[in-house]
Amino acid sequence: MAKKGEGTSAQTGVEPEVQLENLGEQNEIDAAISDTGAVGEGPGEADIEEFMNIAQQLENELCSIVVGQERVIRELLLALLAGGHVLLEGVPGLGKTLLVRTLSDALTLKFARIQFTPDLMPADIVGTTIVTEQSDDNAAGSRRIFSFQPGPIFANVVLADEVNRATPKTQSALLEGMQEHTVSVGDATRPLPRPFFVLATQNPLEMEGTYPLPEAQLDRFLLKVLVRFPNAKDLIRIIDTTVGTQALRAKQVASGEQLLRLIETARAVPVATHVKEHAVRLLLATHPDQEDAPEQVHKYVRYGASPRGLQALILTGKVRALLEGRYNVSLEDLQAVAFPALRHRIILNFDGLADGITPEDLIETIIEETSA
Amino acid sequence: MATVVPTAIVQGAGDGHQLTKALQSWRKRLWLQQVLRWAENGVITGLIVACLLLLVSRFTPWGAVSYWASGVAIAALLGALGAALWYRPSFARSARLVDTRLSLHDRLSTAWELRNNSAPLSILQRGDALKQLSKHRPSAAVSLRPRRMRLISIGIVAVALALLFLLPNPMNTVLQQQAAFQASLARQIAAIKQERTAIDGQSSISAQERAQIEKILSQALAKLQQAKNGTQAQQALAQAQAQLDQLRDPQANNKAQASAAASSSLQDSSNTNLSAAGKALATGDSQGLGSALQKLASQVSSMTPAQRAQLAQQIEQSASQATGNPQLNAALHQLARAVADNNPGEISDAVKALEAAAAQDSANQNTNNSINQASQTLQNAANALASSTDNSTSQNPSQSQTSAQGQNPGQGQASGQTQNPGQGQSNIPNKSSNGSGTQNNTGNKSGKNEQVDIPGQLGTGTSTVDGNGGNGQVQPGTAVPYSQVIADYEQMAHEAIDNSNIPPDLKNLVQGYFNSLEGQK
Repeated sequence: MAKKGEGTSAQTGVEPEVQLENLGEQNEIDAAISDTGAVGEGPGEADIEEFMNIAQQLENELCSIVVGQERVIRELLLALLAGGHVLLEGVPGLGKTLLVRTLSDALTLKFARIQFTPDLMPADIVGTTIVTEQSDDNAAGSRRIFSFQPGPIFANVVLADEVNRATPKTQSALLEGMQEHTVSVGDATRPLPRPFFVLATQNPLEMEGTYPLPEAQLDRFLLKVLVRFPNAKDLIRIIDTTVGTQALRAKQVASGEQLLRLIETARAVPVATHVKEHAVRLLLATHPDQEDAPEQVHKYVRYGASPRGLQALILTGKVRALLEGRYNVSLEDLQAVAFPALRHRIILNFDGLADGITPEDLIETIIEETSA
Repeated sequence: MATVVPTAIVQGAGDGHQLTKALQSWRKRLWLQQVLRWAENGVITGLIVACLLLLVSRFTPWGAVSYWASGVAIAALLGALGAALWYRPSFARSARLVDTRLSLHDRLSTAWELRNNSAPLSILQRGDALKQLSKHRPSAAVSLRPRRMRLISIGIVAVALALLFLLPNPMNTVLQQQAAFQASLARQIAAIKQERTAIDGQSSISAQERAQIEKILSQALAKLQQAKNGTQAQQALAQAQAQLDQLRDPQANNKAQASAAASSSLQDSSNTNLSAAGKALATGDSQGLGSALQKLASQVSSMTPAQRAQLAQQIEQSASQATGNPQLNAALHQLARAVADNNPGEISDAVKALEAAAAQDSANQNTNNSINQASQTLQNAANALASSTDNSTSQNPSQSQTSAQGQNPGQGQASGQTQNPGQGQSNIPNKSSNGSGTQNNTGNKSGKNEQVDIPGQLGTGTSTVDGNGGNGQVQPGTAVPYSQVIADYEQMAHEAIDNSNIPPDLKNLVQGYFNSLEGQK
């Protein structure tokens, strides 16, 4: 298998122009990889074995430290191995930050945490150009030059904590980075290191003084993962693992380059036509203007999921298939990933909000009706 | 939660050919199962539809329902079998079905779709699919045994069908009645056709009148052939009879009576030639009449004036008897005057006029006879149809009704019919009828009254009802002249029309009937 991930460096000091060229090449390679009809190319048996081993080790490591959040960990892995960003929603204290930190530890990736506050500015995220003094040997003195000071977004794993507390202007500073994996400051566009993951958290309770993420921003998260409160048994385990003398720390499981290979391996999983059609039906069923949509969707939905939702279904379905020990995506995979992939892409109307309808209710209905 | 490691990565994973070979047996098994399942469905559907048809036949008369039920059941089975054989599952569909049956999570369908893909992961996927498939056998995974619920359903429907077949169907009686009616109708149609042929061969009536009678009979036949029930047939016959009645000369009876009286008077004459002429006139012997009159004419010249006067007086008396027949009356008057005047030319003219009047009377008589014959045939048909309907309705006493028709020519002939098989007595206050008429009246109009049908009414006299077999032949008492009752009946009819007791399509018929009698009151 070609190690296409090796072509992009995690370093940030490369000239922008060169990085852009590399990025274009990378996109072409990605597109070629995603074509399951490729003849005689793509990941092979060794890649699959590597995928299975690393994924299993990673999951075990995360589960050993973050207790009682197996589903969250699985969904986080789905997004991670699909190369997407994750929005974690849950009340404080459930281990969201710990989860992200453990993940970066296990992957030996550069981790950056940004605490979003109302006064946070875009430059605090993407970086800024400052005047610095540079010694000039010829002039036997120093001269002042403009140099770029990268922000915390220039990391492999970025934790955007309480992302909904910043203003929309600041939130939008993440947009370009999440979609294009580049940052434009001034007249220069700088690439972000690869792999690049944004793991954002938000608190669903304290809504005062918050700025709900706009639809465009939400759509850029591959999955939205709900972090539930652990049950009694898991709480006991939390006591045992966190308040003792032993400080748990995740082992390093894989490097960034390996992670990129895993992503490419997952993308090569074949998808049958009827599975693709089922994914399309699922997506279209979220749109109230579609005749085949369920009655509840007609009644409660303002906007349905975008085509990014379809990409999320298929990508995470591929990862799930591999994690389940299969080399193909099944309908069950799509149905399993439909909740995290579509819940933040379904925008309820006033009736839906007033009647207490949740996107999960609608997705469940959609799955039932499209499977019938 | 743990990541599942693939069971095994198959070395040298199978290609598309292996996959096809592996799927072949599954496909055959699934096809066979489809044939059996669809056959079950066809049987159930056919039996249910057959049950429904038989159920419908219990509310609506349907003679051929058994054939339809059997045909539908067989057709459903054959259709299902044919469709199952025709729509053989494709490999793709077989792969999908096997995926579902064995919970293979779309392994086979994906492998089949990418069977020609040589990408390493596709090869691995095919190998995985084949490995999973090899854990199962078609004979174990695809059962050919009928499902219990299907068998129970077939049993229940079959029992219901058997009950519907075996339990007596109340509509069978109706069907028998309809068949009897149709047979009777066919017989009557044949009889009317025969009558039409007979009238067509009669040369004694004019071609125009023959054509009119034929037209009426043809129309009646056409309506009878289209009649769906007894009421329609009776209407057609009654209408035809009314039309035939309109063809009759209203004065025919008067003329006949006048002619008979005149001939009787002539026969009483002491003059043998005049008496012979009277006889010939009475019997309608035109040759005898001409011969007798010629002899009389030649005899006149040799008579004395007194004898001529006496002879003229006798002829005049006969003429006075023939006031109801103007032509005969005029001819006899002319002959009486010519005899009295002893004018050979006038005598010759009078003889010719008398012969012409007699010939006209004879022609009229023939026409009336033909009309009567046709009318009688129609009446017989009506009676027979009523009788066949009566047989059917007599099985239900609550539907019985009494009607009577009296044809009362001057000789008091009457006929009666009833749809009540029992004995009955019809009473109408202040109107008595006590004749000796029979149903098979000949229609002779030798009396003074005209032939009138009075449905459903009889006089106060006791009526004997022949309840033999429900024929209900009534032998009523004396017929009542219609002029005494027509006003009451007309009033009743108008009230019935006003109260909408008479169906709209029969209103005109009733109205026309009374209008046709208007000039005969």
